[in-house]
Amino acid sequence: MSTTASDMLGQPLTDVEASVLALYEQTKSILQRDDLAPCVRHNLVQSLAALAQVVNDLDLRLEHLYDLGA
Amino acid sequence: MPAAESPFWNPKNETMPRDQLAALQLVKLQRTVEWAAERSPFYRRRFAEAKFEPSQLRKLDDIRRIPLLTKDEWIRAQEEQPLFGDLLAAPAERAIRYHLTSGTSGRTPLRVLDGTRDWQWNSEIWAYGLWALGVRPTDVVYLAFSYASFIGFWGAHYGAEKIGALTIASGNMPTEARVRQIVELGATTVCATPTYAIRLGRVAREMGIDLAKESRIERVVLGGEPGGSVPATRRLITELLGGECGDFAGMTEIGTNMVVECSHHPGGPHIVEDHIFEEVENPVTREPVGYGERGERVVTSFGRGMIPLIRYKTGDLVERMPHTSCTCGRTFDLYRGGILGRADDMKVIRGTNVFPAAVEAIVREYREVDEFRIVLEREGDRDEITLLLELHPHVTDDVREGLCERMAAELAESHEGLRFNVVLADAGSLPRFELKARRLEDRRPQHSGAAS
Repeated sequence: MSTTASDMLGQPLTDVEASVLALYEQTKSILQRDDLAPCVRHNLVQSLAALAQVVNDLDLRLEHLYDLGA
Repeated sequence: MPAAESPFWNPKNETMPRDQLAALQLVKLQRTVEWAAERSPFYRRRFAEAKFEPSQLRKLDDIRRIPLLTKDEWIRAQEEQPLFGDLLAAPAERAIRYHLTSGTSGRTPLRVLDGTRDWQWNSEIWAYGLWALGVRPTDVVYLAFSYASFIGFWGAHYGAEKIGALTIASGNMPTEARVRQIVELGATTVCATPTYAIRLGRVAREMGIDLAKESRIERVVLGGEPGGSVPATRRLITELLGGECGDFAGMTEIGTNMVVECSHHPGGPHIVEDHIFEEVENPVTREPVGYGERGERVVTSFGRGMIPLIRYKTGDLVERMPHTSCTCGRTFDLYRGGILGRADDMKVIRGTNVFPAAVEAIVREYREVDEFRIVLEREGDRDEITLLLELHPHVTDDVREGLCERMAAELAESHEGLRFNVVLADAGSLPRFELKARRLEDRRPQHSGAAS
């Protein structure tokens, strides 16, 4: 999980931003596993895509996630 | 502040000071270009040919080191490596959506793919726009659109769902059925092309329904073709449907909207600048033009990663204005009058430039006109331009008399004296459109086909 405490412009994170970023990184981390049931993997992919949009909108991360299925 | 009370979908970025916004765009541009260089063979080759490396992007202006991307090049890449070409930056099997748009030659369509995250981004930009126009979770959003492969209002559907509005897909219903649903389900927001919004209103009147009085429509989201910022067109739509109009513009190549109109109606849509980088260039010299000057839009998307879009030459003509032209509080610049036309729509008739959108702006001032068509023909060595008008059946003979002459005079005045042949067509003889209207027919040798 990333420990970077700033956004893409170097600004410190708010509490909400830090929480959202932690969720995002945690979801990515779970999707690295190869033992997930289809219902877990594919619903998490949907969640990750939505979280990726939140961290993008909040200027925290801009990443492409095709390798994780999103 | 509770979310529903926020005037902005993304307050952080929509009100960001311009210097910070530029810094954000630079970071996103660097990542987008690095991604393309790393994953897309097309861009890797292209950058190498231009002796460009992503590390050269130190300020936004450095983007001009990258060559423009044209639709023809993109289609050629797809023809050489069917079906999707080597612009792809991820395997096609990662995609969840497929859309297409017509090509320039008519032979090969342009095909695009989106992954799950790409599609989230697509609907997100629609959500920015729908929210800016006033759509909230309590709204009922009606999509008067046939779905299928044309991207059209697909993103609006998902954007409205994301907001939490009741979202109604009308699919390939007949217009009469759509009118009934709009009334029965209490639609507050209707998404349609300007042409089809007018048709909805007129068909409703023929059914004895005045949507402006008998529906709950509060706003009409216009997209899919130019015209959403033409004042006469907007007045007519508001008169027929009720509600305020909002002009949105996007393209299949990008996957979503790039410009969205807010509820302050500043005379044009805002650019969604935290997700899309727009340049405006002189179409001949390719030099950047300043605020208020007309030029061609060149677009770079920070969104879709499966097919990176860097410096795409859109052909759209625009006039960029500073964000201070609007009182809504957004720091995003806007395009005065929306998409003013297309560089390749321009026709030269006896030395005079004619844009279909400019002709439409005049025709729409005449409420008696139900439909129209522009026909270009060669007579001997002379080009002629004819405007066919279909009037509403209820137009009386005294109104009919002299209308063509009045309109011809007005058109000539706005086109350096060019004479338009304005003639009446029989009722029901001109084609109607649901999606992109094609009202210009160029019958001159080597110009065959409908152009717009």
